[in-house]
Amino acid sequence: MRYIPVIGLEIHAEMLTHSKVFCTCSAEFGGEENSRVCPRCAGLPGTLPVLNQGAVTLAAKAGFALDCTVNPYSAFDRKNYFYPDLPKAYQITQFEKPICTDGKVNIRGKDIRINRIHIEEDAGKLIHDEYEGISFADYNRCGVPLIEIVTEPDLRSADEAKEFVEEVALRLKYAGVCDARMEQGSLRVDVNISLMPYGSSEFGTRAEIKNLNSLKSIVRAIEYEIERQTEILDKGEKVVQETRRFNDNHGNTKALRSKEEAHDYRYFPEPDIPPVLFSEAELSAIRESMPEMPQKRFERYTKEYGLPEKDAELLIGDKDLSDFYDAAARCNPSYKAIANLVLVELLRNLNDSGMCISDVKFSPANLAQIVKLSDEGKISKNAAKDILKILFESGGDPLEIAKANNLIMESDASALESIIDKVIAENADSVESYKSGNQKVFGFLMGQVVKEAGKGANPQLARDLLMKKLAD
Amino acid sequence: MMSIAKLRKMLDTRQISAIELTQAYLNKIKEVDIKINSYISVCEESAAGAAKEAQKLIDEGKASFLTGIPISVKDNICTLGIKTTCASKMLEDFVPIYDATVVQKLKAVGAVILGKTNMDEFAMGGSSQTSYFGCVRNPYDTSRVSGGSSGGAAASVSAGLCAGALGSDTGGSVRQPASFCGVTGLKPTYGAVSRYGLIAFASSLDQIGPIAYSAEDCGGILNVIAGYDENDATSAKRTQNSFGGKIGMSLKGMKIGIPKEFFGNGIHDEVKSAVLSAADFYRQAGCELVDVSMPSLEYAVSAYYLISSAEAASNLSRYDGIKFGYRSTNGESYEELVKNTRREGFGEEVKHRILLGNYALSSGYYDAYYNNASKIRTQIKKEYNDIFAQCDCILTPTAPTVAYRIGEFENDPVKMYLADICTVTVNIAGLPAISTTCGYDSAGMPIGMSIVGKAFGEAEIIAAADAFEKQFARQEAVL
Repeated sequence: MRYIPVIGLEIHAEMLTHSKVFCTCSAEFGGEENSRVCPRCAGLPGTLPVLNQGAVTLAAKAGFALDCTVNPYSAFDRKNYFYPDLPKAYQITQFEKPICTDGKVNIRGKDIRINRIHIEEDAGKLIHDEYEGISFADYNRCGVPLIEIVTEPDLRSADEAKEFVEEVALRLKYAGVCDARMEQGSLRVDVNISLMPYGSSEFGTRAEIKNLNSLKSIVRAIEYEIERQTEILDKGEKVVQETRRFNDNHGNTKALRSKEEAHDYRYFPEPDIPPVLFSEAELSAIRESMPEMPQKRFERYTKEYGLPEKDAELLIGDKDLSDFYDAAARCNPSYKAIANLVLVELLRNLNDSGMCISDVKFSPANLAQIVKLSDEGKISKNAAKDILKILFESGGDPLEIAKANNLIMESDASALESIIDKVIAENADSVESYKSGNQKVFGFLMGQVVKEAGKGANPQLARDLLMKKLAD
Repeated sequence: MMSIAKLRKMLDTRQISAIELTQAYLNKIKEVDIKINSYISVCEESAAGAAKEAQKLIDEGKASFLTGIPISVKDNICTLGIKTTCASKMLEDFVPIYDATVVQKLKAVGAVILGKTNMDEFAMGGSSQTSYFGCVRNPYDTSRVSGGSSGGAAASVSAGLCAGALGSDTGGSVRQPASFCGVTGLKPTYGAVSRYGLIAFASSLDQIGPIAYSAEDCGGILNVIAGYDENDATSAKRTQNSFGGKIGMSLKGMKIGIPKEFFGNGIHDEVKSAVLSAADFYRQAGCELVDVSMPSLEYAVSAYYLISSAEAASNLSRYDGIKFGYRSTNGESYEELVKNTRREGFGEEVKHRILLGNYALSSGYYDAYYNNASKIRTQIKKEYNDIFAQCDCILTPTAPTVAYRIGEFENDPVKMYLADICTVTVNIAGLPAISTTCGYDSAGMPIGMSIVGKAFGEAEIIAAADAFEKQFARQEAVL
């Protein structure tokens, strides 16, 4: 029998606030174990959470980025469960009244509906020493602000799911909400998946696969689950509603706990935090403060800058690269030339060195200057590549680099003229031969000019001048 | 027993130094507290140090109301470097690494913290019998309870073992022990005093409040501890009142509501008549007594126990033996360790409430219990609004009886819960209320009355209580 996968996602995204959501500890990734902990995020008796307004604003921005309604009234609840990475033994989250509801993201011409986005705090990390049989708790991540984005079960394939996550991650990045570094855990995905026979409209029993932290594992986990559930259904058996864990090494999923074993979280309103209220004016101020989103940027690149759609798409798909391009384009409106240099040469160097755009030693203005030198005919196309490579390796000023490496093209006609005069005088035979119709000699004479003038000679100018002199 | 107002004069006129005053209280604690067990920790050294600093302030002419005044702090309010046990085995050795906001404020004005007072474990109870460190005895009759949960706070004031005390009130825990011990206790409006550093019992109901010799003293302490605190998101952004500012104003024309449900069958006759004769005092002073009604009162205790236990179950989940406090030495797995830690570390009453709270929140029961309790909460608030549309304050008994014998309700916890009937609605509605002694029963035990005010109407109820106190002859406890 053939089945249609029915997939819904829960995306957890860490928000880019400086401090944690209920205290003033740094929310940065990493750090020495338990170095970013205070009485509040350690849950010491008597402490109280104080809501970080920055996190609230970012969550609202996420809402706007994903086409949600940002609610004028939202509130926090407590989700109670015991786990050593959760110092208070409850997580502060939004259950009944989330900050955003009813969004949508269009993928391949189809709207994927977003049920809700809510704010919650992240838990700590446990480090297990299997050898000694000891576990340690690191609370640095405790209280890092998260949003959880919950979709409706509108996705129908692993590829669709992947594309959706990519699009959401991109929008969150553009909105400045999340850096979406899945390898650092700043974006994590839970997949809910069931199978439905072709022709049916009734959803099957779903399994939830927790905590997927790469696009690849999302795809593999979904594909594995489709296979696993298909086998079960084909045998006439029933899929068990349960939570499963994906094993990256084996590429399979294993049951974690069944519905019967599921926690009863005993949600109730968080009494320590007053509700979050937005006036109309506050909401429109946040909406107006939204950075340029990918779609808008695409239109700017293609319509204003005249970039080909393919180039625009390539740039926009990597926000850091696109930001770099934007900054360079602001220095020099040679949009296409800059795009070419970024998309071909800069990317090549990045790939070769394994570096990120944020690691490079030169500024977008430096790159814009290379293009300017080339536009002005001061350097050749090849020289532009060479200068970029040098910038990449050791930084510096493009003009200085060009000079130091003798890459400035000689565009001074009088200097060239005297060189040409000299070449003509010293090669009287060849000149004679050319004049009597032997065109091939021109190449030889041109070579002599370049030899005399150096690499920096502007070849076009030299050629024109030589022709003129020979015609005299 | 001497009022802070009087001690202030003595300190300012150099009749006594802050150092001598603190020493006198410390000596008395040593001598007398063995009879009533009001303190869990006494901080002799830090108190002496604080007294010295206070004397400097006095000498420099920088003294304010509490400078050099010996104060006790309930043992659920965090004190930097001083054990804060919540009267529980769970926190027997817990030493906070920060001061509660109220403690910071006391220290900032040069108040002297004598020690940490005994209480019901995690403030759960109305008799201070559930303390891991033994029950608090009533200074008027040591075979009787002090009331609770701030029993140590009230008894320490009543026995003259401090000049004023900080307690906490979740369902009557400041007012009822003040009533049982014959002193004055004030539960401020929810949000008036920062809860930062108060070890939570039921967060939506908890408020720190003063217990002292008089309403005037309570106002003076409240002036110091009240105010917005950025560390407590539920604290109110208000410019601070002068809480004693209305003392001495004429009561003429004040409308006092007498809600009939608070004078029903469950209320002891001697209590009823003492409170009603206080009402008569107000009538003669020119107040108008208004008959009012609170039909939902019969559901109040149930709603209170559901809401407070639900919040407590969650608040007390952090005591798992992993990070701080007691840790069981039994248990092979994480689950076993947590179970055994909590089984061994919490007392019976605390466990009852955790079970009750988790039951009320569990899926399938939430609507029937927690949700219905929330509805009653809304209804009670509405009924208070209706009453306050007709009057300025409300007069009720503080407790149905005077202090009872230790162990009297041991086998009937529900009966003890019901004794909270007069106080819990004030917390449910977040209102201020003050309890002061309005008479003594035939055995000489103090009877308390409560005056409930509008939200942030502390100054009015303090003035009303003060007017009564000024003409009432207190009988001091003799130990």
